Amino acid sequence: MTLLLQGLALGVLTGGLYALLASGLSLYFGVMRVVMVAHPAFLFLAAYLTYTAHTAFGVDPFLALPVTVPLFFALGVAVQRLLVARLAPDNLAMMSVLLTFGLALTIEGLLGTFYTGSYRSVSMDYATRSLTVGGVHLPYDKIIAFSVAALTLAVLFAVLVKSRFGRALRATIQHREAARLVGIPTERVAGYGFGVGLATAAVGGAVLALITPFFPASHWVWIGKLMAVIVVGGLGSVVGAALAAVLLGVVEGVVLVTVDATWATMMFYVFLFLTLLVRPQGFFGGRLAHRF
Amino acid sequence: MRIASRAFPLLIAALALGYPWLVPNYYLVYAGALTVMYAAMATSWNLLGGFTGYVSLGHSAFFGLGAYGTGLLVTRLDVPWAVALPVSAALVTALAAGVGVAAVRVRGASFVIVSIALVSMTNLVAQGWRSLTGGSSGLQVPSPFPGLHRGQTHMAFFYLFLALLALALLTWWYVSRSRFGAGLLAIREDEDKAESLGVPTAAYKVTAFALSALFVALAGGLYALWFGSLDPIFVFSILIGSNMVLMSLLGGVRHLYGPLLGALIVAPAGEYFLIALGETQIHLTATGLVLILVVLFMPDGILARFTRRRAGPSIPDRSAGERLHEVTP
Repeated sequence: MTLLLQGLALGVLTGGLYALLASGLSLYFGVMRVVMVAHPAFLFLAAYLTYTAHTAFGVDPFLALPVTVPLFFALGVAVQRLLVARLAPDNLAMMSVLLTFGLALTIEGLLGTFYTGSYRSVSMDYATRSLTVGGVHLPYDKIIAFSVAALTLAVLFAVLVKSRFGRALRATIQHREAARLVGIPTERVAGYGFGVGLATAAVGGAVLALITPFFPASHWVWIGKLMAVIVVGGLGSVVGAALAAVLLGVVEGVVLVTVDATWATMMFYVFLFLTLLVRPQGFFGGRLAHRF
Repeated sequence: MRIASRAFPLLIAALALGYPWLVPNYYLVYAGALTVMYAAMATSWNLLGGFTGYVSLGHSAFFGLGAYGTGLLVTRLDVPWAVALPVSAALVTALAAGVGVAAVRVRGASFVIVSIALVSMTNLVAQGWRSLTGGSSGLQVPSPFPGLHRGQTHMAFFYLFLALLALALLTWWYVSRSRFGAGLLAIREDEDKAESLGVPTAAYKVTAFALSALFVALAGGLYALWFGSLDPIFVFSILIGSNMVLMSLLGGVRHLYGPLLGALIVAPAGEYFLIALGETQIHLTATGLVLILVVLFMPDGILARFTRRRAGPSIPDRSAGERLHEVTP
């Protein structure tokens, strides 16, 4: 029973992180109908930058964020304006996947060349202990990861719901032509949407560096997991992705403590295929994702 | 013109047959066999990608399954390799048909996601099921030609892969002239219209998916017999799948010889990178950059740029209306 609770608690904590990491993917898909396979690669780029900042200058992973977040925002805008926006619209879905796949390979190759293929990790004193509540151990690093993810998601939602930019972004997601008709510069907004998406990758990368060892090729595992999350949640739905992330995080956590790591990861794909068989548009998304 | 277009493939075929005898060392025979293997796989990939427009990044799953299927049949059940190879390929094709039923229900982006997931899943199984596959320590497969030395084995497999390539090309050519092929093209142009006009889109897509898995699985099986040791990380690597896509796109997905041309460029370039730069990861960057450039500037491939009309049997440039007219009874 304690074991199950342990799995459940860890699952919720990890699920929060998945929600943050998947939110970027939902944004890209929303504004451009693009599945950004390179998102996890950028995530690990951020993790490596955090690692360098930590080892070379002794900077705390989270103090590097004021630099990496604007940098990644600019990168995101550049990726949208210089690459994705140039694709021919008639086969955008397939070609954009290939394009971002090329980006992912490029980043992985560069990371492998500069940092070699061996494992790296950032360990902070405050993150190594764990909190024990009623026989359930909650590592501090997981708690920090969850809090940062929750905070970032809250800020993201606030921006999307309250700000003028957020309204423009949501309008662009809902109906591009209509948004343009009422005077929203959809091209620019789509660029900023990509920027915001990659900015979440910068935060996610810093968190990831703290909680897990990483090597250049590890982004492939995350592609599978995050794709499963957004498909189960419904492509393009930020809320759906967040709910699916917590759901899959819990399933993974419980299977991890009761069976083993292979099956825990396998659950993501099981849910992916089940979703496609039963409800291809996802469980929480719906209208937007239809026929993608 | 007509004679030239007839004679050209014959000349290439003659060159290919003579290649192992023309090159000065066995390393080049090895590199040639690898290139022909990739050409066969890319052509096979193009049975799905070229006709239906469904881009699969996950065909390395079938490569790996074919390889492990053949390897396991030979080592665990002592089946002769000439039997193990087709049996394992048939099993993989049946499996691909099953997966295809789920996979082709979705279009565009979701299909690519499914194909990527397929590789990750098969990789997990191969690594996790230690008692059967040997896990990450690998699987050793005995050589089918114990009498030959290493160079002669490369030569034997060069011809085996060449035969496979010929088979894949012939299948593509046959499909491109069939009613089935016309239906697949209609799916690429407008799936909803094709379906409303009575093209059995689901059945056609699953068939194309399984057919394109078949030759990739055969290539995987031959690879297992050739290399003699299988490592799940390499065999189920997403890189093999992306190589098939890159080769096909670079050469031109609408042309019979497109993937072959792409393979002739990409595979030797990859080998060259490996020699020139050693075992660094920078070759990934090179592959990635080439893929980005091709997608941005040459999505129709080299052949589309050089052949204004068609040279050799390529998919004719007709309007969607004409194609639909052809497939409806």
